[in-house]
Amino acid sequence: MEAASIPTPAAHEDHHHGPPTANQSSRVNSEVLGILLFIISEIMLFGAFFAAYFFIRVVNSDAWPPGDGLPVAVAAINAAILLSSSVTMHWTDVSAKRGNDMAMRVGIVTTFLLGCTFLFIQINEYLHLGFTPETSASASVFFGLTGLHGAHVVIGLLLLWMSAVRIFKGKVGPNNHRGLEVPGIYWHFVDAMWIVVFTTIYVL
Amino acid sequence: MAAKIRQPGWYRALAFSILGVLVCLGLSTGLRAAFSVDPVYDGTSVLQISLLMVPLFFLGGIGCFDYWLRWASGRTVVDDHADHGAKSWRDYFKVNTDHKVIGIQYICVSFFFMFIGGLMAMLVRAELASPGRQFVDPNTYNGVFSIHATLLIFLFVIPVFAGIANYVLPLMIGAPDMAFPRLNALSFWMLPVAGTMMLLSFLAPGGSFAAGWTAYAPLSVDAPIGQAFFTIAVQFAGASSIATALNFLVTIITMRAPGMTFFRMPLLVWANFSTSLLVVIATPFIAASQFMVLLDRALGFNFFNPANGGDILMYQHVFWFYSHPAVYIMLLPGFGIISEVLATRARKPVFGYRMMAFSLLAIVLLGFTVWAHHMFVSGMSDWIRIPMMITTAIIAIPTGIKIFSWVATLWRGVIKMDTPMLWAVGFISMFTLGGISGVMLAMVPLDIHVSDTYFIVAHIHYVLFGGSMFTIMAGIYFWFPKMTGRMYNERLGKIHFWLTFVFFNVTFAPMHLIGVQGMPRRVSDYADQFATWNMIISISSFILGFASLIFLYNMIVSWRSGPKAGSNPWNSLTIEWQVSSPPPIFNFDSIPSVVGGPYEYGVPGAVHAILDQPAETPVAAGVGAASEEN
Amino acid sequence: MTGQSHRGAVTAKNWIALLAIIVVASAIGIAFMLALNWFPEQGSNVAPMIDTFWDVLVIVSVPIFVAVTTMLLFSVWRWRQKPGEEDLDGPPIHGSTKLEVIWTIIPTIVIAALTTYAAILLVDIQAAPAKGTRVVNVNGVQFAWDFETETPAGPVKSGRLYLPINEPVKFNVRSKDVIHDFWVPAFRLKVDAVPGITTTYNLTPTKLGTFDVVCAELCGLGHAYMRQTVTVLTAERYATVMAGLARASGAKPPAGGAAADVAGEKLFVSGNPATGATACGACHALKAAGTTAATGPNLDEMLTKDDAAAIMEMIVDPNKEIVPGYSKGIMPANYATTLTKAELAALVKYIDQSVHGKG
Repeated sequence: MEAASIPTPAAHEDHHHGPPTANQSSRVNSEVLGILLFIISEIMLFGAFFAAYFFIRVVNSDAWPPGDGLPVAVAAINAAILLSSSVTMHWTDVSAKRGNDMAMRVGIVTTFLLGCTFLFIQINEYLHLGFTPETSASASVFFGLTGLHGAHVVIGLLLLWMSAVRIFKGKVGPNNHRGLEVPGIYWHFVDAMWIVVFTTIYVL
Repeated sequence: MAAKIRQPGWYRALAFSILGVLVCLGLSTGLRAAFSVDPVYDGTSVLQISLLMVPLFFLGGIGCFDYWLRWASGRTVVDDHADHGAKSWRDYFKVNTDHKVIGIQYICVSFFFMFIGGLMAMLVRAELASPGRQFVDPNTYNGVFSIHATLLIFLFVIPVFAGIANYVLPLMIGAPDMAFPRLNALSFWMLPVAGTMMLLSFLAPGGSFAAGWTAYAPLSVDAPIGQAFFTIAVQFAGASSIATALNFLVTIITMRAPGMTFFRMPLLVWANFSTSLLVVIATPFIAASQFMVLLDRALGFNFFNPANGGDILMYQHVFWFYSHPAVYIMLLPGFGIISEVLATRARKPVFGYRMMAFSLLAIVLLGFTVWAHHMFVSGMSDWIRIPMMITTAIIAIPTGIKIFSWVATLWRGVIKMDTPMLWAVGFISMFTLGGISGVMLAMVPLDIHVSDTYFIVAHIHYVLFGGSMFTIMAGIYFWFPKMTGRMYNERLGKIHFWLTFVFFNVTFAPMHLIGVQGMPRRVSDYADQFATWNMIISISSFILGFASLIFLYNMIVSWRSGPKAGSNPWNSLTIEWQVSSPPPIFNFDSIPSVVGGPYEYGVPGAVHAILDQPAETPVAAGVGAASEEN
Repeated sequence: MTGQSHRGAVTAKNWIALLAIIVVASAIGIAFMLALNWFPEQGSNVAPMIDTFWDVLVIVSVPIFVAVTTMLLFSVWRWRQKPGEEDLDGPPIHGSTKLEVIWTIIPTIVIAALTTYAAILLVDIQAAPAKGTRVVNVNGVQFAWDFETETPAGPVKSGRLYLPINEPVKFNVRSKDVIHDFWVPAFRLKVDAVPGITTTYNLTPTKLGTFDVVCAELCGLGHAYMRQTVTVLTAERYATVMAGLARASGAKPPAGGAAADVAGEKLFVSGNPATGATACGACHALKAAGTTAATGPNLDEMLTKDDAAAIMEMIVDPNKEIVPGYSKGIMPANYATTLTKAELAALVKYIDQSVHGKG
C-alpha cells in the first residue's frame, strides 16, 4: 500500500504550507453559487410534492380542501409574517455590509423571532385543523406540503441561529459577511416557497 | 480511551452511534408517552427513527461536522490542512478533505459494493439455473435481486463515476481541490452508511426489502419493515449524490485555471458538468418518492392508498422523473471517460468536439422529457404514450452523434489496443446494441409486449454493463497509473476484458430471446420451456463473475508491486498527466495556464497547458517522450 | 506529426470492401435474426401486427449495428499502432460539418419513420371496441387471477379464462391489493392491474388452444407462481362451458353430499386449475402430503391446536390472523370463490386429519 502514500515535494516544502490559491474563473462567488444550486434541488423536492398535489387533487379529484375548510386567514397572517422576516433579513444583510453592528444584531434577532412565530402558528394550526394525514389523500398532501415547508423553516432557523451566534461573537462585518449572506439567501427561498405553498394549498 | 473518544474517528463514531440509538429510543418512547399511544415501546418506531438519525450521529462521530460546528459556534477556525492528503493507508479510513483521497475512498467503497452486488447476481443465477426452487425461498429471492440492483445502481455505478471524477476532474481543470472539500468528505461518508443500511435489511424481521429497486407502491407500503431500510438508505445515497454534483458544478464554474474556457475543457469535465446538472435537478424526486412511501408506511399518510383518494400511478411518475435521468447519470460520465481514452490512445483529436459537448447537454434536456416511457403499460392516460415515444426516440440522435464521432475519432488514428482501449472499443459496440434495443423499447406497440420481461433485463444490462461498466473499467485501467503511480498488468487486463466481453454476451444476449418468448422478469421460477437458455445463462454468468476476480487480483497486486508508471505513461496532453503520479498533495505548486484545446494530438507544437514546474515529460503535443509502456 | 503518409487514407478499394462487408454481414445478420423463433404462437389478431413490426425493427437495426462494428473493427485493424510508430500521432482532424450533418439527419429520418409506423400501429391495436363487445373482468389478487365474464344472465366467475375464437373481447383489469400485470404472451398485449383504477385492452383471439396467463409486474412473494391459463374455444364449446360455469356459480351443489367424492389430498397438492385455486402444497409443508415448501408456515407445526372450524376460517380468510414471521396478503384470499363448499369441506377434513394423525 506504500504506493498510495503521497511523495513529499521536499524541494518546495519551505515556501508552501497549503494549496496554491485557485483561479477564480467566474464572477459568482462559490458559496453563493453553491446555495443557489442547492435551492434548485430544494425547488425540485417541493416540485415532487406539488406533483403529488396535482395528481391527487386534479387527476384523481380527491375532495379539496381536506376537512371542513382551511384557515386561510391564519395562513395569510403567516405569509405576512414570513414576508416581513424576509425584509428584516435583507436589512440585516445590508447592515452587515455597511458595518452597522447594532442594526445587524437587531435585524437577525427580529428575523429569527418572526420565523419562530411562523412555526408556532403553524403547529397551532395543525392541532386545530380537525383532520390528520390519515383522513384522506388530500389531507396527506396538505400535511406533506406544509410539513415539508415547515421542515425547511426549521433548517432556515438553524442557519439563522448560527449566523446570530457568529454576529454576537463579532465574526460578521463588512469584510466577512458570507456566513450571513448565504443563510439569508436560503431564508428568502423559504419565504418565497411559502407564497407558492400558500397559494396552491389555501387560495386555489 | 477517553481521548480517543474525544477525537474524531471510529471510536467516537461507535460511541456516538450507540448514543444515537439511545436518543432514538428515548425520542420514540417519549413521544408515544406524551401522546399516550399504547404500547409506549414500539420496536418498529424505534427502528425507523434510528435508521433516520443514527447515521447522522455516526457521521458526526467520524468527524464530518467538526469544522462546521466550530465555525457555527463562532469560534475562530483555521484551516491547517491537517485533514488533507493521505500519509499512510490508515488515512483512507478517516475523514479527509483531499479530493484525491476521497476519489480513492469512493472507488474502493463502490467496488466493495460492486462485488457484493455481483455475488447477489450469482445467487440469482444459481436460483434460476433450472425451474423450481434450488437455493432460496421466493422472499429471499425477491430480496436478493432487489439488493443486487439497488447496490449496483446507488452504491456502484453512480458513486464510482463520482469517485473517478473526484480524483481526476480538479486536476484536469487546474484546480487545487474541489470547491467544498468538507462537503466532499461528507458526500463520501454517506455512501458506506447507505450501503451498510441496505445490507442490514437482510437481518430485518420479515426479510430484506423485496419490492425491486423501483419499490413500487403499494407493494412497498405494505411490505415488512425491511423496506424501510431501502426507503431511508436511498435518502442518504441521494443526498450524497446531490452534494457531490453541487460540488462538481461549483468547482467547474468557479475554479477553472486561467485560459480554461468551457470549450477547452476535456470532455470528461463536460460529461460531469452535464451529469451534475441532472443530479441536482432530478435526484430530489426519488428522495420525495421515498419520503412519501415512508410517510405512508410510518405515519399512515394516504399518498398511495386508493381507498382514501391516493394515487398509485403518481409514485411511478415521481419515481421515474428521477430514475430515467438516473440512467444518463450512470452513462454520461462514462461517455466522458471514453472520449479521453480514445483521443489519447488513438492519438487524434476527439472528432467533432463541440457537437460532443452539445450532445451531452441535449441528452440532459431530453432526459427530462421521457420518464413515462417506463409506464407504457402502467395504466396511465393513453395520450401521454405517443409524445413520450417520440421524445425517447429523439434521444437516439444525440447518442448516435456520440457513437459516430467516436468511430470517426479512431479513423486514421495511431491506435494502441491496450486494456483501456479494449474496454472503450468494446463499449462502443455493446452500447450501440443497448441503444438499439432502447429504441425498440421506445416503440409503444412492441413495448407493450416486452415490458417487464427478460428483454428489459437484457436491455438494461447492455446499457449498464456493456455501457457503464465497460466505461468504468476503461477509466479505472486508464487512470490506475495516475492514482497509484504504478502500472497494472497488461496481460491480466486483456484476459479480464476478453473473458468479460465474451461471457457478458453469452449471459445477456439470450435474455432478449427468452424475454420476447414470454418470460417475465423478477421471477424465482419460470415455465419449463425457458430451462435450457436459463442454464446456459447461469453457467456463463459464473464465468463472468470469475473474470472480475482477475481484475481484483490485478488491481491489488499491481497497486502493491506493479512497475513504476511515470507521470505520463499514455503521453496525454490533459493536465492531470502533467503532474507526478500520484500527484503532489496540493496538486500544483502554482495554478497552470491553459493555452489550447485538450486533444490537439497531431498538431505540431500544440500545447494544452503550461505548468510552472513541468513534471518529467514535456507538455508539447506530438513530441512526447519515449513511451514508458512495458 | 508528419511522416505518416505511409499509413495513408482509405483507398477506393477499401471503401468498396467495407461496403461489401457491411452489406453482406447485414444480410446474414438480418437473415439470422428473422430465422430465430422469437415470439410465442400467434393467438390474437394483434399478434401478427406486432410480429411484423418486430421484423421491420430488426431489418432497420441490424445494419446500424453491423455498420458501427465493422467501422470499429476496420479502424482497429487498419490503423493499429505498429512497431516503430510509438511516437506517431494521427492526423489532426477536428471534425467535419458535412459528416456531422449527415449523421444527424439520417437517424432523424429513420426515427421519424419508425415512430410514425409505431404510432399508426398503436392507434390500430388500441381502437375502441365495438358496442356490445364481450367484457371480461380480470381481477388480480396476491397471487392469482380470477375472471368474471359478463353475460346477459349476469356475470360468470371462473378461475380459468375461457374465450370464444374470433370474437372480440374487452378486458377490464383491476387489482384488489398491489399492482399486477395481466399478460397473455400469445396475445402480445399486457396492462397493469392497478388498485383503484380500471385498465383495459381489447383484442380478438384467433387461435384455438390453451395459452399462459402471466403476471408481469412484481407483486410480492408469489409473483413467479401467478401463472394461469386461458383457453380459446369454438363458439359452441364456449357456450357449453359457460353454461356449466353459470350453473356452478349460480346454484351451489348441496353441501356435504358430494364431499366424500372429492379427494382432499388432490386438492391440497394440485389445487383446482379449472377455477384457479392455487395448490396449498405450493407454499405449505405438510408431511402427509409430502410437500416441503416454506413460503407459508409449516402446517404440521402451525395447526396442532386448531380444529376443523379454525382451519376453514384460515383458508377462507387468511389475512385475519398472521403467524409471526410471515406477512399479510401473501396467501390468496379467494378460496371461498375458487372452491366449492364441498371441495372446501373435503380440503379441511383432509388437513385436519393429516395434522392430527386421525387418518
